[in-house]
Formats: sequence, C-alpha cells, structure tokens
Amino acid sequence: MNVKFLLPFVEAAYEVLLAETNMELRRGELSLDKAAYYTDDITVIISLVGAVQGTVFYSMSKATGCALATRMMGEEQKEFEALAQSGIAELGNVITGRASVLLSKSGYEVTISPPAMIMGKGAIISTLDFPRLIVPLEGDCGKVMIHLALRENTNQNLKTPDIAVPNRPNI
Amino acid sequence: MAEAQVEATRGKLSLQKSAITSDDITVLINLVGQVQGVVLYGLSEKMGLSLVSRILGQNCTELNSLAQSGIAELGNVITGRATVKLSQAGYQSNISPPTLITGSGVQISTLDFSRIVVPLQTDLGYIIVHLALRSSPPGMQSANFVPLKIQTIAGPSSNT
Repeated sequence: MNVKFLLPFVEAAYEVLLAETNMELRRGELSLDKAAYYTDDITVIISLVGAVQGTVFYSMSKATGCALATRMMGEEQKEFEALAQSGIAELGNVITGRASVLLSKSGYEVTISPPAMIMGKGAIISTLDFPRLIVPLEGDCGKVMIHLALRENTNQNLKTPDIAVPNRPNI
Repeated sequence: MAEAQVEATRGKLSLQKSAITSDDITVLINLVGQVQGVVLYGLSEKMGLSLVSRILGQNCTELNSLAQSGIAELGNVITGRATVKLSQAGYQSNISPPTLITGSGVQISTLDFSRIVVPLQTDLGYIIVHLALRSSPPGMQSANFVPLKIQTIAGPSSNT
C-alpha cells in the first residue's frame, strides 16, 4: 500500500477528533500486517471506491467507544447502546469523508460507502489480498486504531457494471 | 450459482432493524453510487467449504486462505452481477472489494439502514443474503462522499 494514502487519514482523524471530542491525538508506531485482523470490541468498517479502493477499519475498546460518545453527546454513555453506536459510526464516517476530501485534493477522487459496525471481540476480519497498514492513535480517551487496506485503482474508467460477467450456462 | 452448479430457491423475506449476529462466515461488500449501502452474505463454515469444493473441483476441508478467497470471490461475482442488473434498471452503482468476517456470534450493525433478509436454500445448505441498501438522494450521485449528519468537520477554531 502506498504510504501517501496514510497522511489524509491521520490528518482527518486528528482534526475530527479534536473538533468533536476535544481530544488531542499522538500517533503511535506504524505497522504493516498481512494476516487477518482479530476484532476489538468495536470496529467501524468503511469502504472506498474510486481512484483509491479498499477498506478502512477503525477499532477501539468499549471503554474508549463510550468515552468518545460521552464527549460527543455531552452526556454520559455508560453502555454502548444505539445512540453511542451511531455516534461512533458517524465519527468514522466523518473522518473518512474528510480524508476523501484531502485525497481528492491530491488527485485521487474517491467515494466512500456508508459505515457498518461490528461489535464483539474475537471475530476475524480478512481483507484478503490487501495488506493492512495499522496506525495507532492515542489520546486521553484511549486508543483508536486505524487499519488501512487500500490500493491505487489503475483501471479507473472501468465501472463495475461494465465488467463482463458470464451468463448462466444451461446446466 | 453457475460456478458451484447449485440451484437456489428463495425462502421467506423479512425486514430487520436490529444488528445481525454473525454466522460462521460473512462476506461484506459495500455499494456506492445511485444505490448505496451494505450487502452481507452469511453462511455456515460447512456450507462455505462445500461451496468452495464445488467451485474448485477439489475437496476443501479447512477454511484456509484459498477457501476464504473463493467464498469472498463468490460474493464479489454475485454482487457484481447484481450491479449489472441494477444498472439495467437505471441505477448505476459501484462495488467495493469484499471483506471477509469469520467467527460467529459477533454483532454486525448497519445502523440506520434496515435490512431485507433473503434466505437462499440450496442442496448444500443456506446462504442468507442481507441487503441494507437505499437509493441515494437525488443530486448526490456524483458527490464526493455520502451525506453526513454531523457537519462540523471544519477546523477547531470554528467549532466554538
């Protein structure tokens, strides 16, 4: 994966978390992982389609999720319920949206998908042949990990509906 | 289903709003464009292995990377084929690369998208297709990103 796709996400995460939750972030050590990812308590999954394609995960523990939601809503979120869930998913959406704006400024037009959220420890998420770049971001609410499994799409003009799929043979 | 040479019959449709408790294997693919949202294919490990065995023409007994990519690819081809049909119906959309979630019992939530659940029965077992899709608001088709509810993404100075 190209490291130049990394900066927009770190920048966006920093800006958005500072604006929404008033939390300053420090970046931890980067790592590249080819193996599947064992989920933390909360994982937000958002896909990118366009000049850069792939998947972005934001993972955090339940405590961090609740603390972030509490700061966003301005009211205590003890359990990670519907309101807190939509808050955290929205946070992922805003960060990715902001990153996509930054990416388009550097010449990569991308569209992002709506977020999906996985709750529960120990499931395995595989991005198959996309290796993941992992960026740990630490603040006073806890740790938020960004997993980037992205690559440049060299065949940009090709829209998925144009790819020929064979018709069902008569079997 | 031509790849695995199985006939699928559709079971009863239902609409669900709650989070899904995942099956052994879940393939997650996102759609963007005039139709946007998430498509999930849930199947048991046994079903996945027998499907892959049929596709590859060899016996797969464990969910290794070959089997995983076979199942993900199946989801990819089904969704790709569906976008062709959607575009024939006048909805242009594009799909994301597949993500594979293994391990049962975690909760997958599509948030404010309610899901149409389509069980497909084959002679190898069940595949449950979850469709959490909606058509994009008019004028948003060419926009750079999906509409955001919280619009305070400006710098911290304008936040106060």
